[in-house]
Amino acid sequence: MIRIEDLSVAFDGPEVVKNVSLEIRDGEILGVVGESGCGKSVTALTLMGLVAESARVTSGRIYFDDTLLLEAGRPRDKALYRRFQGDEMSMVFQEPMTSLNPTQRAGKQVDEVLRLHTRLDAAERRKKVLETFEAVGLKDAETVYASYPHQLSGGMRQRVMIAMAVILHPRLLVADEPTTALDVTVQNQIVSLLQKINRQQNNAMLFITHDLNLARRLCQRIAVMKDGCVVEQGETEQIFRHPEQDYTRRLLEAVPSRMKRRKSPYVPAEEQALSDPVVQVRDLSVYYQDGGNSLFGKKRRHCVVKDVNFEIYPGESLGLVGESGCGKTTLSRAVLGINRDIEGQVLHSTLRPQMIFQDPYSSLNPARTVGWQLQEPLRAQGATAVGGAMTRADMEAAACDMLRRVGMDERYFYRRPAQLSGGQRQRVSIAQALITHPGFIIADEPVSALDVTIQAQIMELMQRLRREMKLSFLFISHDINVVYQMCDRIMVMKEGRIIETGETEEIFDSPKEEYTKELLASARNNVQ
Amino acid sequence: MKTLSPAKKWNKYFTAGLVMTGAAVFLGLLGLFWTPYSTTAMSAAERFAAPSWRHLFGTDNFGRDIFSRVMQGMGTTIVISTLVVLFSGAAGILLGALTGYFGGVLDEAVMRVTDAVNGFPSILLALVFISILGNGRQNLILSLGIVFVPSYVRIVRGEYLRLRDADYIKRARLMGVGRFRILFVHILPNILPVFGVSVMIGLNNAILAESGMSYLGIGVQAPDASLGNMLSDAQGYLQAAPWYALAPGMVIVWIVLGFSLFSEGIRRRVE
Repeated sequence: MIRIEDLSVAFDGPEVVKNVSLEIRDGEILGVVGESGCGKSVTALTLMGLVAESARVTSGRIYFDDTLLLEAGRPRDKALYRRFQGDEMSMVFQEPMTSLNPTQRAGKQVDEVLRLHTRLDAAERRKKVLETFEAVGLKDAETVYASYPHQLSGGMRQRVMIAMAVILHPRLLVADEPTTALDVTVQNQIVSLLQKINRQQNNAMLFITHDLNLARRLCQRIAVMKDGCVVEQGETEQIFRHPEQDYTRRLLEAVPSRMKRRKSPYVPAEEQALSDPVVQVRDLSVYYQDGGNSLFGKKRRHCVVKDVNFEIYPGESLGLVGESGCGKTTLSRAVLGINRDIEGQVLHSTLRPQMIFQDPYSSLNPARTVGWQLQEPLRAQGATAVGGAMTRADMEAAACDMLRRVGMDERYFYRRPAQLSGGQRQRVSIAQALITHPGFIIADEPVSALDVTIQAQIMELMQRLRREMKLSFLFISHDINVVYQMCDRIMVMKEGRIIETGETEEIFDSPKEEYTKELLASARNNVQ
Repeated sequence: MKTLSPAKKWNKYFTAGLVMTGAAVFLGLLGLFWTPYSTTAMSAAERFAAPSWRHLFGTDNFGRDIFSRVMQGMGTTIVISTLVVLFSGAAGILLGALTGYFGGVLDEAVMRVTDAVNGFPSILLALVFISILGNGRQNLILSLGIVFVPSYVRIVRGEYLRLRDADYIKRARLMGVGRFRILFVHILPNILPVFGVSVMIGLNNAILAESGMSYLGIGVQAPDASLGNMLSDAQGYLQAAPWYALAPGMVIVWIVLGFSLFSEGIRRRVE
């Protein structure tokens, strides 16, 4: 149905998509997988005719059935595209918040699609929109119709987006990372929905994702992209069972999953129990104040975390899992002592716990060099040290040493964050957190923003450092599989409470709470 | 990762602005120490001489060389405006950093005061300050400086508000970095690009304001030359010697246009 032949696209500089040839058959779901920057989104946007004006198609052509949509060296035919966009092909984007207009009611926005493409009158359109809302699993369709995007949850917004995309029954649906911004459980529902739509409407789908497990579940065929090229393409199971290319193999190996043997804890349990815990949390409740920003605003106090008890022993890694908004981050901030409005106790045996954040792009100061940032904790420590500060040379040596330990070298000492990749930045963040030998680290989704291969490297690095430096971790993540690989024990959090705690194996093999089972089920679904 | 293409790094705005500003600053600063003719020497024989190779911009009602006086006036204006911007910029950084980062009562108080200051036309307010403080260059700098502070406070405060919750600042706090070090060593370098552009725009406003004040006779006093008081002197002779008013007027336009292009060029480079 769709034929992309030998497509190359370039912006200002070199080509970002190189000689890509893809074919999508009627009713088929084709997955395009690859790491960020591999050109998968640009390919899709070019297909849809939505790529930025500054992009140049340097070779190839795109056919829809027998219509030539795009050819290199010919200007984009906007009128032709307008005939296909919406009616024949439509797109679902990653970020449901920014893809909807925040000032218009959800129903109106979907209605507009019908108004532009059909001759139905207002009442018929409204009926059709409500029907579609129900079809995409929005239970209270009337309410959703009258809601503004900010009144809907992320999952509901994505459903509205999907409703908008499928309401005209297009023959091709392009979905660009449609579940990446969502929680695991919601992710699962959206994937099932896409599957259902595919079966019912029998339309073809181009599914773009960096998540291989997801692609495996959903797609009949898969194309693996790297640096703008399609390196491998074939039936899904064929690719997963017998990958032909090295790159595909590496990509598959990097995916954290239960299939892989977990390494045993680095510090034996008996030894852990003998020593005193590095952190003890007793009956901790954390409150959050609203409306404190304006001078006369009335302050309201919410309880975000309720009666939490746990301890972490030296060398132990404790996982904290739960959906977004369940209080994970608030709890971690309270443990660090940033959040002061608490009841209960937090006892530390180490001096200053440090933290590693999710977003590698905002956790380093863009104005300072790597070396400067690595020395800053030492300078800060020196300012309060009793025995006098370290000398300049000592600090520089310590920074270089730490840089090597996280797998980088002195060449990076004078670089600024803008000159580093995401993985390298996360390494520097880790180095910065560890340079004062804190003993206890809170890692808040430290690998969630990274590509799978980088993710695997960073996890490996954290495990190695944990062993070398006898570190304890509080490891926060929504990704059960990551937690499974990283942690000795797991706490499950729901709505501000810890509902279940136990050894990793125990939680995975015999979860007690319904919620834990649900969480595990959606994670397993992703695997197989 | 951002890579600037050469075209963006070196744009025409920047080049044109640099040339115009450079010429003005060079001639102006030179004019403070050396001018082709004395700026105060009068000559009855050469009253209202039209522009010629001897007197590039002609002479005024006392037979003084207008080119020399424009040079000196330019220098005076540039120095005063620079000092005004330095004063208000420094105060703006200090107040903006404290209010943006800490918030609370101090923030409310300072923001309401800046609202009040913004409520009046800036020249009018500067006039009020001058009449309280008295005439003179220092007082001119001080009063214009005070009037310009609020705009910087707002810009700096906004940037601090934006950056105070950045992950790298949170981490700096966790490391135990002191508050003032966070304010001025961690955050400040990150706002300099934005601040730099607003300083350039502020410099323009200061030049116009200084000229306006001197025109009204409250800034630089005769017999010292300034672009503003030359304009006001020339007013009576628009018919007899149009070049008298034209010279300082064109120079003001030249400087302001130069700085505008320069700051626009910088802004494009930064973004």
